[in-house]
Amino acid sequence: MAFNFNWSPLTADASFYTRAQELLTTALNKSPKPPIIVDDILVNELNLGSVPPDLEILEIGDLAEDRFRGIFKMCYTGDAYLTLKTRVQANPLNTYLSTKPSFTSPQPLAASSGLTIPLQITLSEIKLSAFIILVFSRQKGLTLVFRNDPLESLKVSSTFDAIPFVRDYLQKEIEGQLRTLLMDEVPVIIHRLSLRLWVPEYREREDEELARNLQDSTTAEKPMDPLASPPQDPVDSCGNILDASQIASLSLDSGPEMHALFSQKNLLRLSALTDSHRTLSLFTPGIRDVVFRAWAGPTERGEMHGSSGRATPMTPVMARSQSYTGNASTTYVFSEAGDTGHHPSRPGLSSFGSAASGLGLGSNKHGKPHGGRKRKHRVVNLRKKATDGDDVESVSGESTTASGTMSSAPSESGARPVTPERCDGELVTPPRTPENTAAQKEPGDGTPLRFRNFTPRQPQRAEVSENTPRQPQYKVPSPHSLTQSGSRTAKRPSLRPPDSLQTTRYPVEKGPKPEASSSSTATLQQLSPSPIDESSSGGMVPQPWLTKMAGEIARKVQDQKAANSGFWDRNDEAQEEPPPAYRS
Amino acid sequence: MLGFMDYVQNAFYEASRWDRDNSYGTLTATSRNILDFSTPEGLRFHVSSLSSPNFATSYTLGSIGLVDGSLSYLYSSLPLPRLAAKSSAIDLHHLVPGYRQLQDLRQPDEPWWWEIWHQGKRIDRREALLYGRLFLPRSTLEALYLRRLSPKTQLKVSCVSDSRLPNGGTILAHLQHDAAKHNTEYIYSTDSALFGVRGLYNFGPDPAPTRPLFEASPDSTISTANEAAAFTTAQTPSQPHGRFSAGGEIYYGLLNKSGGISTGLRFATLPSHTGFPYTMTLTLNPLMGNLSSTYSVLASPLLALSSRFDFNVYSYESELQVGTELWRRKEKPLIEDLNWARLKMGQKVLNDPSKDLDNPNGMAGCFKARVDQRGGLGLLWEGRVKELLYSCGATIDLRGGENMFRGFGVEVQYSS
Repeated sequence: MAFNFNWSPLTADASFYTRAQELLTTALNKSPKPPIIVDDILVNELNLGSVPPDLEILEIGDLAEDRFRGIFKMCYTGDAYLTLKTRVQANPLNTYLSTKPSFTSPQPLAASSGLTIPLQITLSEIKLSAFIILVFSRQKGLTLVFRNDPLESLKVSSTFDAIPFVRDYLQKEIEGQLRTLLMDEVPVIIHRLSLRLWVPEYREREDEELARNLQDSTTAEKPMDPLASPPQDPVDSCGNILDASQIASLSLDSGPEMHALFSQKNLLRLSALTDSHRTLSLFTPGIRDVVFRAWAGPTERGEMHGSSGRATPMTPVMARSQSYTGNASTTYVFSEAGDTGHHPSRPGLSSFGSAASGLGLGSNKHGKPHGGRKRKHRVVNLRKKATDGDDVESVSGESTTASGTMSSAPSESGARPVTPERCDGELVTPPRTPENTAAQKEPGDGTPLRFRNFTPRQPQRAEVSENTPRQPQYKVPSPHSLTQSGSRTAKRPSLRPPDSLQTTRYPVEKGPKPEASSSSTATLQQLSPSPIDESSSGGMVPQPWLTKMAGEIARKVQDQKAANSGFWDRNDEAQEEPPPAYRS
Repeated sequence: MLGFMDYVQNAFYEASRWDRDNSYGTLTATSRNILDFSTPEGLRFHVSSLSSPNFATSYTLGSIGLVDGSLSYLYSSLPLPRLAAKSSAIDLHHLVPGYRQLQDLRQPDEPWWWEIWHQGKRIDRREALLYGRLFLPRSTLEALYLRRLSPKTQLKVSCVSDSRLPNGGTILAHLQHDAAKHNTEYIYSTDSALFGVRGLYNFGPDPAPTRPLFEASPDSTISTANEAAAFTTAQTPSQPHGRFSAGGEIYYGLLNKSGGISTGLRFATLPSHTGFPYTMTLTLNPLMGNLSSTYSVLASPLLALSSRFDFNVYSYESELQVGTELWRRKEKPLIEDLNWARLKMGQKVLNDPSKDLDNPNGMAGCFKARVDQRGGLGLLWEGRVKELLYSCGATIDLRGGENMFRGFGVEVQYSS
């Protein structure tokens, strides 16, 4: 797997450096300083340089429109530098005594008199190599954790380079300080920034969640925050998480059963409606006797899918394309080589903007066709400002698509009875997968891909539906999901399930937001039609064959999983079978 | 304001005839007392007692945000029966360190003076002081062992035990050798294996040999020592009016391979000086290029002024501090009149300390203030109300803007 990392846009953003400097300054001054530093540390200069870090995707544990979890390996040997200004106490006796209890102090007369010296430190030749765990969720923002000590080496040049003793001392002190900064402070900064980026939605959402939680207090399981506990223990993840993932996937993808209930026309309209949210288009199709709430949780999306699966396969495609257009500003394009071939396409997250760190990985949805080895393109948005707005919108829009409108809640409930019928749903869905593969294959080249890459959602559906009958053994722990879980065996190792629970609730209470969002989405709608066509064309592929294939793959994966349960194990990756994460 | 335990400890020094002023460490004691006084923080109560001439206890309760306290015990093998322990009787000058008037050098006792023979056996002991203090919420323990090894030497071992310190605590050993004319100290701290040597040399004529105080029992206290000093001063008419001292110190930490060095000069007037007493010091830290000069004046028995100028030849940083110490006398017209009359009659009421001892309540309080060039202001008012000694102070930053008050506190002491 490889991706292109576009580094320059970060540096192009003028405000980025000033903001980063401020953040760094506060972060550096927050933690208790060694006694030798007698003044505030000011970040004088900051330059990220022109050499980007090498990022390697080790594992993607969870991928959806509104969440992402993955492990990356980062190596950095670039030309970034950082200049700090502060004042230091040059008298070692002074600093030594300042940390000791006065009772046993030798109380020197003047030998401890201070000599403060302005100091300028330049940190350069920073070498980082770390395993990064990145967890993103729309509600909780972006969490980035270093799994190991990221700092490999560092060159500290200062005013005192001529004095070896001082130089060594500074080198040691600064390395230590930087380590704590990277390990403790940076994740916090990034998290806060990511929250800030999503502020409007985030706040509203939080309020709603609060209210919802209050009302839903009866529900046994409280939604857990996937971000709060990024899966650091691979061991845990295998068993429980799988179940959870199932739940999540079920709730999210709840679609297939539903299509029978809706007419194609209505579905088209709904899709247009959701698309309008995703885009900036002001046009919203009128649907009678329906209250449309946008910004609903992931559950809604499931509804959409269901509809799409049956009548209009195109809708999901459209959604994705639009979201990408939103991301047009995004800086990173990841192209995945076909090696990962067998990933059931999952309508992954469209984009994360992790503007704060500059490391932010927006993993957009990767659509991976089932059998095909295709290129995956992910667009990651590292930019903060301009893009942020877009990203947010796109993300939210997708989520809305996924989670149906108000109707979704009822529909789901309705779906439970429907579950037995799934066979039908399965049959119907499969045709789409081929489409996706085709669509994805095309995008092989750089930018144009954006619109296309993400189509793969539908294939997931197909898979899911197929898988479900065969793997009933996975049981969904949570009562909510149970209804659906039985049907969908698709395992997603991710932590999602809690989210899904949450999302299911959304529809009930979500009211006011949607309209606002819908109005905001304007431009992108035009794009939607074309994807629709593509998808529709895809429908030609023989369904039975597809279902069969999907079933095969699912089984294979299952076996594999049983064999090596370590969900974070790289073995999964190495083998051609898609890691469980990719199975939706 | 000194704590009760410090007060008792100083009394022990006096009783064992140890000259605290004759040390390089106290070269700038006068200016430090006037300029570097510490202001109390928060609210703090001390209750202490000298339950027996050998044993003292003290309890402290304070609150700075959260309540904390300490228990301390002190044992002195040297009885201190004449020590004024009641807070109503303690001389404020002993609790409020201010301008330190140097006394004439006193030739140390001959070792054999300390020998006590009883039925053919030596039964004299080396005087020692033990002190321990436990800070309660923090579980920090301070301990001090002080021992007069010989008339010229004193060993002081202080320890702090605290789980938060590296290695769980530190020990400082301090060996002092005072030969009147010169004084040397050796310091070792377990923290980073710090070694230190200090030395002080007093220029001028040798001190006159003191007359052995055979009649003085081992529990002789301040007054007897002072009388002896007064006696010797009276004996030598042609004695200098001032003393010039020079000294230096050097430290080296074996573990952290760092050290420090400084040298200092002091000129101070002696009691025989006819004008107002004054003290000048100059210290130099050649490694760090720090130069510090102080000038302190005891303008009147009630007023002392001090100034300090620091300059660093490397960084060109300078600092100027000015401070004052102002005493307020209690109205005691009768006693004053008597003293005056006594003086007129040619009786010896010469030395102030003895006079203070005579009327320890003579002072109602002391006001200290300091200000530096950066707008830092420190105020301290210490005094006595009935049986209670109080000390309230504030640290103010004149350029601090809204939060000018950096610290404010009140301390109340009671002892019996």
